[in-house]
Amino acid sequence: MYDLVRGPFVWVAFIVFIVGTVYQVVRFYALSRETSPFRLTKPTGGPPKTEAPPAEPVLTFGQRMRLSIAGTSPVMITVTTVFHVLLVLTPIFVLGHNVLWDLAWGVSPPSLSEAFTDVLTLIVIAGGVYFLGRRLFMARVRAITSAYDYAILAIATAPFITGFLAYRHIFDYDTVIILHMLAGEIMLIAIPFTKLVHMPFFFINRFLLVHENTFGAGGTRIWR
Amino acid sequence: MSSANNDTTVDTEAIREVLDANRAKMKTALRVCAHCSLCAESCFLFHVHDGDPRYMPSHKFINSIGRLYKKKGRVDREGLEEISEIVWRRCVLCTRCYCPLGIDIPEMIALARNICRSQDVYFQWDQLEQPA
Repeated sequence: MYDLVRGPFVWVAFIVFIVGTVYQVVRFYALSRETSPFRLTKPTGGPPKTEAPPAEPVLTFGQRMRLSIAGTSPVMITVTTVFHVLLVLTPIFVLGHNVLWDLAWGVSPPSLSEAFTDVLTLIVIAGGVYFLGRRLFMARVRAITSAYDYAILAIATAPFITGFLAYRHIFDYDTVIILHMLAGEIMLIAIPFTKLVHMPFFFINRFLLVHENTFGAGGTRIWR
Repeated sequence: MSSANNDTTVDTEAIREVLDANRAKMKTALRVCAHCSLCAESCFLFHVHDGDPRYMPSHKFINSIGRLYKKKGRVDREGLEEISEIVWRRCVLCTRCYCPLGIDIPEMIALARNICRSQDVYFQWDQLEQPA
Protein backbone atom coordinates (compact mmCIF):
# COMPACT_ATOMS: atom_id res chain seq x y z
CA MET A 1 0.00 0.00 0.00
CA TYR A 2 2.79 2.39 0.98
CA ASP A 3 4.64 1.87 -2.31
CA LEU A 4 1.47 2.32 -4.31
CA VAL A 5 0.52 5.57 -2.57
CA ARG A 6 4.10 6.88 -2.71
CA GLY A 7 4.67 5.82 -6.30
CA PRO A 8 2.06 5.60 -9.06
CA PHE A 9 -0.70 7.41 -7.13
CA VAL A 10 1.47 10.52 -6.81
CA TRP A 11 2.10 10.70 -10.53
CA VAL A 12 -1.55 10.03 -11.35
CA ALA A 13 -2.55 12.83 -8.96
CA PHE A 14 -0.09 15.30 -10.43
CA ILE A 15 -1.03 14.42 -14.02
CA VAL A 16 -4.77 14.74 -13.28
CA PHE A 17 -4.13 18.03 -11.49
CA ILE A 18 -2.02 19.53 -14.30
CA VAL A 19 -4.09 18.19 -17.21
CA GLY A 20 -7.33 19.10 -15.43
CA THR A 21 -6.18 22.63 -14.72
CA VAL A 22 -4.97 23.10 -18.31
CA TYR A 23 -8.35 21.75 -19.49
CA GLN A 24 -10.17 24.32 -17.36
CA VAL A 25 -8.03 27.14 -18.71
CA VAL A 26 -8.48 25.98 -22.33
CA ARG A 27 -12.21 25.65 -21.71
CA PHE A 28 -12.30 29.21 -20.41
CA TYR A 29 -10.55 30.46 -23.55
CA ALA A 30 -13.01 28.53 -25.74
CA LEU A 31 -15.95 30.05 -23.87
CA SER A 32 -14.65 33.60 -23.92
CA ARG A 33 -13.44 35.96 -26.58
CA GLU A 34 -11.01 38.78 -26.94
CA THR A 35 -12.50 42.22 -26.58
CA SER A 36 -11.16 45.61 -27.39
CA PRO A 37 -11.06 47.62 -24.20
CA PHE A 38 -13.37 50.61 -24.06
CA ARG A 39 -11.25 53.70 -23.70
CA LEU A 40 -12.30 57.32 -23.68
CA THR A 41 -10.01 59.43 -25.80
CA LYS A 42 -9.69 63.15 -25.73
CA PRO A 43 -11.10 64.72 -28.89
CA THR A 44 -8.61 66.68 -30.89
CA GLY A 45 -9.31 70.34 -31.69
CA GLY A 46 -12.29 71.79 -29.88
CA PRO A 47 -12.60 75.11 -28.08
CA PRO A 48 -9.48 76.94 -26.89
CA LYS A 49 -8.11 75.96 -23.52
CA THR A 50 -9.42 77.85 -20.52
CA GLU A 51 -8.53 77.59 -16.88
CA ALA A 52 -7.59 74.09 -15.78
CA PRO A 53 -10.47 72.37 -13.95
CA PRO A 54 -9.93 71.71 -10.24
CA ALA A 55 -8.20 68.43 -9.57
CA GLU A 56 -10.50 65.53 -8.76
CA PRO A 57 -10.43 64.55 -5.10
CA VAL A 58 -8.22 61.51 -4.70
CA LEU A 59 -8.82 59.09 -1.86
CA THR A 60 -5.78 58.20 0.18
CA PHE A 61 -4.63 54.58 0.36
CA GLY A 62 -6.03 54.32 3.90
CA GLN A 63 -9.43 55.65 2.83
CA ARG A 64 -9.60 53.24 -0.08
CA MET A 65 -8.69 50.33 2.18
CA ARG A 66 -11.41 51.26 4.67
CA LEU A 67 -14.00 51.30 1.88
CA SER A 68 -12.80 48.02 0.42
CA ILE A 69 -13.63 44.48 1.46
CA ALA A 70 -10.50 44.57 3.64
CA GLY A 71 -12.14 47.39 5.59
CA THR A 72 -15.52 45.73 6.01
CA SER A 73 -14.20 42.23 6.82
CA PRO A 74 -10.60 42.75 8.02
CA VAL A 75 -10.28 39.51 10.00
CA MET A 76 -11.66 37.31 7.23
CA ILE A 77 -9.49 38.98 4.59
CA THR A 78 -6.35 38.58 6.69
CA VAL A 79 -7.08 34.95 7.55
CA THR A 80 -8.12 34.00 4.01
CA THR A 81 -5.07 35.63 2.43
CA VAL A 82 -2.62 33.97 4.81
CA PHE A 83 -4.47 30.64 4.54
CA HIS A 84 -4.49 30.55 0.73
CA VAL A 85 -0.90 31.71 0.28
CA LEU A 86 0.44 29.22 2.81
CA LEU A 87 -1.79 26.42 1.48
CA VAL A 88 -0.02 26.70 -1.87
CA LEU A 89 3.50 27.58 -0.73
CA THR A 90 4.06 25.44 2.39
CA PRO A 91 4.09 22.00 0.70
CA ILE A 92 6.67 23.22 -1.84
CA PHE A 93 9.24 24.00 0.86
CA VAL A 94 8.77 21.03 3.19
CA LEU A 95 12.03 19.12 3.62
CA GLY A 96 10.35 15.70 3.59
CA HIS A 97 8.68 16.45 0.23
CA ASN A 98 11.89 17.69 -1.30
CA VAL A 99 13.83 14.60 -0.25
CA LEU A 100 11.29 12.60 -2.27
CA TRP A 101 11.71 14.91 -5.29
CA ASP A 102 15.48 14.48 -4.99
CA LEU A 103 15.19 10.71 -4.85
CA ALA A 104 12.90 10.68 -7.89
CA TRP A 105 14.44 13.33 -10.14
CA GLY A 106 17.64 14.46 -8.46
CA VAL A 107 16.37 18.04 -8.21
CA SER A 108 14.11 19.80 -5.73
CA PRO A 109 13.02 23.25 -4.63
CA PRO A 110 14.87 24.76 -1.66
CA SER A 111 13.66 23.62 1.75
CA LEU A 112 12.74 25.57 4.85
CA SER A 113 13.56 24.23 8.29
CA GLU A 114 11.19 21.56 9.55
CA ALA A 115 10.37 23.57 12.65
CA PHE A 116 9.32 26.53 10.48
CA THR A 117 7.15 24.53 8.07
CA ASP A 118 5.61 22.92 11.14
CA VAL A 119 4.48 26.40 12.25
CA LEU A 120 3.21 27.24 8.74
CA THR A 121 1.22 23.99 8.75
CA LEU A 122 -0.32 24.94 12.08
CA ILE A 123 -1.30 28.34 10.64
CA VAL A 124 -3.07 26.64 7.71
CA ILE A 125 -4.90 24.32 10.11
CA ALA A 126 -5.87 27.31 12.26
CA GLY A 127 -7.25 29.01 9.11
CA GLY A 128 -9.29 25.89 8.41
CA VAL A 129 -10.66 25.94 11.95
CA TYR A 130 -11.62 29.61 11.48
CA PHE A 131 -13.49 28.81 8.24
CA LEU A 132 -15.23 25.90 9.96
CA GLY A 133 -16.28 28.21 12.78
CA ARG A 134 -17.70 30.73 10.30
CA ARG A 135 -19.66 28.01 8.54
CA LEU A 136 -21.06 26.71 11.81
CA PHE A 137 -21.77 29.90 13.70
CA MET A 138 -22.30 32.79 11.28
CA ALA A 139 -25.89 32.95 10.06
CA ARG A 140 -24.96 34.44 6.68
CA VAL A 141 -22.43 31.69 5.93
CA ARG A 142 -24.66 28.93 7.29
CA ALA A 143 -27.47 30.11 5.00
CA ILE A 144 -25.48 29.08 1.90
CA THR A 145 -23.55 26.15 3.38
CA SER A 146 -24.19 22.56 2.34
CA ALA A 147 -22.44 19.27 3.12
CA TYR A 148 -20.36 19.87 -0.02
CA ASP A 149 -18.73 22.93 1.57
CA TYR A 150 -17.64 20.93 4.61
CA ALA A 151 -16.28 18.22 2.30
CA ILE A 152 -14.25 20.80 0.36
CA LEU A 153 -12.87 22.25 3.59
CA ALA A 154 -11.94 18.74 4.72
CA ILE A 155 -10.23 17.95 1.39
CA ALA A 156 -8.21 21.18 1.57
CA THR A 157 -7.09 20.82 5.19
CA ALA A 158 -6.70 17.02 5.49
CA PRO A 159 -3.17 16.99 3.96
CA PHE A 160 -2.06 19.57 6.52
CA ILE A 161 -3.69 17.88 9.50
CA THR A 162 -2.24 14.47 8.57
CA GLY A 163 1.12 16.07 7.73
CA PHE A 164 1.23 17.69 11.14
CA LEU A 165 0.37 14.37 12.84
CA ALA A 166 2.96 12.50 10.79
CA TYR A 167 5.76 14.96 11.55
CA ARG A 168 4.98 14.79 15.28
CA HIS A 169 4.58 10.99 15.14
CA ILE A 170 1.16 11.28 16.74
CA PHE A 171 -0.83 8.04 16.27
CA ASP A 172 0.65 5.18 14.24
CA TYR A 173 3.17 6.80 11.89
CA ASP A 174 2.90 4.17 9.13
CA THR A 175 -0.86 4.64 8.89
CA VAL A 176 -0.79 8.43 9.21
CA ILE A 177 1.84 8.90 6.49
CA ILE A 178 -0.23 6.80 4.06
CA LEU A 179 -3.31 8.86 4.95
CA HIS A 180 -1.23 12.03 4.47
CA MET A 181 -0.14 11.03 0.97
CA LEU A 182 -3.66 9.92 0.05
CA ALA A 183 -5.09 13.19 1.35
CA GLY A 184 -2.63 15.20 -0.73
CA GLU A 185 -3.39 13.17 -3.83
CA ILE A 186 -7.12 13.53 -3.34
CA MET A 187 -6.72 17.30 -3.00
CA LEU A 188 -4.68 17.58 -6.20
CA ILE A 189 -7.20 15.52 -8.15
CA ALA A 190 -10.10 17.50 -6.68
CA ILE A 191 -8.76 20.94 -7.61
CA PRO A 192 -9.81 21.08 -11.28
CA PHE A 193 -13.14 19.32 -10.85
CA THR A 194 -14.69 20.62 -7.64
CA LYS A 195 -15.29 23.96 -5.95
CA LEU A 196 -11.53 24.04 -5.40
CA VAL A 197 -11.39 25.15 -9.04
CA HIS A 198 -11.75 28.66 -7.58
CA MET A 199 -7.98 28.45 -7.17
CA PRO A 200 -7.15 28.64 -10.92
CA PHE A 201 -10.36 30.52 -11.76
CA PHE A 202 -9.57 33.30 -9.33
CA PHE A 203 -6.76 34.40 -11.63
CA ILE A 204 -8.88 34.03 -14.77
CA ASN A 205 -11.89 35.86 -13.35
CA ARG A 206 -9.99 38.62 -11.65
CA PHE A 207 -7.20 39.26 -14.17
CA LEU A 208 -8.49 38.24 -17.61
CA LEU A 209 -12.20 39.00 -17.61
CA VAL A 210 -13.20 42.60 -18.16
CA HIS A 211 -15.38 43.87 -15.32
CA GLU A 212 -15.49 46.53 -12.69
CA ASN A 213 -13.15 44.77 -10.29
CA THR A 214 -10.59 43.45 -12.75
CA PHE A 215 -7.07 43.39 -11.37
CA GLY A 216 -3.97 44.29 -13.33
CA ALA A 217 -4.16 45.82 -16.78
CA GLY A 218 -7.97 45.75 -16.94
CA GLY A 219 -8.61 42.40 -18.61
CA THR A 220 -8.82 41.44 -22.25
CA ARG A 221 -11.62 38.88 -22.50
CA ILE A 222 -15.38 38.60 -22.09
CA TRP A 223 -17.72 35.60 -22.17
CA ARG A 224 -19.01 34.65 -25.58
CA MET B 1 -46.56 37.34 -6.38
CA SER B 2 -47.00 38.59 -9.85
CA SER B 3 -48.11 36.67 -12.82
CA ALA B 4 -49.58 38.03 -16.00
CA ASN B 5 -51.86 35.06 -16.49
CA ASN B 6 -53.35 32.21 -14.50
CA ASP B 7 -51.83 29.52 -16.65
CA THR B 8 -50.39 26.89 -14.32
CA THR B 9 -48.10 25.15 -16.79
CA VAL B 10 -44.44 25.94 -17.16
CA ASP B 11 -42.64 25.59 -20.48
CA THR B 12 -39.60 23.68 -19.24
CA GLU B 13 -38.16 23.48 -22.75
CA ALA B 14 -38.17 27.26 -23.14
CA ILE B 15 -36.43 27.64 -19.77
CA ARG B 16 -33.87 25.06 -20.73
CA GLU B 17 -33.10 26.90 -23.95
CA VAL B 18 -32.17 30.04 -22.01
CA LEU B 19 -30.16 27.95 -19.54
CA ASP B 20 -28.30 26.18 -22.35
CA ALA B 21 -27.47 29.44 -24.09
CA ASN B 22 -25.81 30.71 -20.91
CA ARG B 23 -24.57 27.41 -19.55
CA ALA B 24 -20.84 28.18 -19.54
CA LYS B 25 -20.99 31.30 -17.50
CA MET B 26 -23.65 29.99 -15.16
CA LYS B 27 -21.88 26.72 -14.49
CA THR B 28 -18.61 28.51 -13.81
CA ALA B 29 -20.27 31.01 -11.49
CA LEU B 30 -22.01 28.31 -9.48
CA ARG B 31 -18.90 26.17 -9.28
CA VAL B 32 -16.49 28.97 -8.45
CA CYS B 33 -18.66 30.44 -5.68
CA ALA B 34 -16.83 29.36 -2.52
CA HIS B 35 -19.84 30.20 -0.35
CA CYS B 36 -17.65 32.63 1.58
CA SER B 37 -20.36 35.29 2.17
CA LEU B 38 -17.93 38.17 1.52
CA CYS B 39 -20.43 39.64 -0.95
CA ALA B 40 -22.89 40.30 1.90
CA GLU B 41 -21.50 43.66 3.00
CA SER B 42 -21.60 45.05 -0.54
CA CYS B 43 -25.41 44.81 -0.78
CA PHE B 44 -27.31 47.79 0.57
CA LEU B 45 -30.47 45.70 0.92
CA PHE B 46 -28.54 43.31 3.17
CA HIS B 47 -27.73 46.25 5.44
CA VAL B 48 -31.26 47.67 5.28
CA HIS B 49 -32.66 44.30 6.37
CA ASP B 50 -30.35 44.06 9.39
CA GLY B 51 -28.06 41.44 7.88
CA ASP B 52 -30.80 39.02 6.83
CA PRO B 53 -28.83 36.31 4.95
CA ARG B 54 -31.59 36.05 2.33
CA TYR B 55 -30.46 39.44 1.03
CA MET B 56 -26.87 38.32 0.52
CA PRO B 57 -26.01 38.47 -3.22
CA SER B 58 -24.71 34.88 -3.27
CA HIS B 59 -27.84 33.60 -1.49
CA LYS B 60 -29.95 35.35 -4.15
CA PHE B 61 -28.16 33.95 -7.17
CA ILE B 62 -27.78 30.44 -5.72
CA ASN B 63 -31.50 30.26 -4.95
CA SER B 64 -32.68 31.73 -8.25
CA ILE B 65 -30.53 30.83 -11.25
CA GLY B 66 -28.73 28.14 -9.23
CA ARG B 67 -32.03 26.48 -8.44
CA LEU B 68 -33.18 26.63 -12.08
CA TYR B 69 -29.83 25.22 -13.25
CA LYS B 70 -29.77 22.36 -10.75
CA LYS B 71 -33.34 21.38 -11.55
CA LYS B 72 -32.63 21.74 -15.29
CA GLY B 73 -35.55 24.15 -15.62
CA ARG B 74 -38.04 21.77 -14.02
CA VAL B 75 -39.81 24.13 -11.67
CA ASP B 76 -43.51 24.66 -11.17
CA ARG B 77 -45.23 28.01 -11.24
CA GLU B 78 -44.99 28.31 -7.49
CA GLY B 79 -41.24 27.86 -7.77
CA LEU B 80 -41.05 30.58 -10.40
CA GLU B 81 -43.06 32.89 -8.15
CA GLU B 82 -40.54 32.26 -5.34
CA ILE B 83 -37.68 33.00 -7.72
CA SER B 84 -39.34 36.20 -8.91
CA GLU B 85 -39.67 37.27 -5.29
CA ILE B 86 -35.88 36.89 -4.98
CA VAL B 87 -34.84 38.51 -8.25
CA TRP B 88 -37.22 41.49 -8.10
CA ARG B 89 -38.03 42.12 -4.46
CA ARG B 90 -34.71 41.19 -2.85
CA CYS B 91 -32.52 42.61 -5.64
CA VAL B 92 -32.88 45.87 -7.54
CA LEU B 93 -29.98 45.14 -9.89
CA CYS B 94 -28.00 48.12 -8.71
CA THR B 95 -24.87 46.12 -9.72
CA ARG B 96 -22.89 47.25 -6.68
CA CYS B 97 -22.27 43.73 -5.34
CA TYR B 98 -18.69 42.61 -5.02
CA CYS B 99 -17.41 39.06 -5.40
CA PRO B 100 -13.79 38.33 -4.45
CA LEU B 101 -13.73 35.56 -7.04
CA GLY B 102 -15.08 37.79 -9.79
CA ILE B 103 -18.52 36.23 -10.26
CA ASP B 104 -20.87 38.51 -12.18
CA ILE B 105 -23.79 38.20 -9.76
CA PRO B 106 -26.00 40.88 -11.40
CA GLU B 107 -25.84 39.04 -14.69
CA MET B 108 -26.96 35.85 -12.98
CA ILE B 109 -29.92 37.69 -11.43
CA ALA B 110 -30.76 39.29 -14.79
CA LEU B 111 -30.72 35.85 -16.36
CA ALA B 112 -33.17 34.54 -13.76
CA ARG B 113 -35.39 37.55 -14.50
CA ASN B 114 -35.31 36.69 -18.21
CA ILE B 115 -36.40 33.14 -17.47
CA CYS B 116 -39.24 34.34 -15.24
CA ARG B 117 -40.39 36.78 -17.93
CA SER B 118 -40.33 34.01 -20.55
CA GLN B 119 -42.97 32.27 -18.41
CA ASP B 120 -45.04 35.42 -17.90
CA VAL B 121 -43.90 35.75 -14.33
CA TYR B 122 -42.69 39.20 -13.45
CA PHE B 123 -43.02 41.89 -10.94
CA GLN B 124 -46.03 44.15 -11.27
CA TRP B 125 -45.49 47.37 -9.42
CA ASP B 126 -49.13 48.38 -9.62
CA GLN B 127 -50.09 45.31 -7.61
CA LEU B 128 -47.65 46.05 -4.87
CA GLU B 129 -49.36 46.17 -1.48
CA GLN B 130 -49.22 49.66 -0.10
CA PRO B 131 -48.34 50.14 3.54
CA ALA B 132 -51.37 50.93 5.69
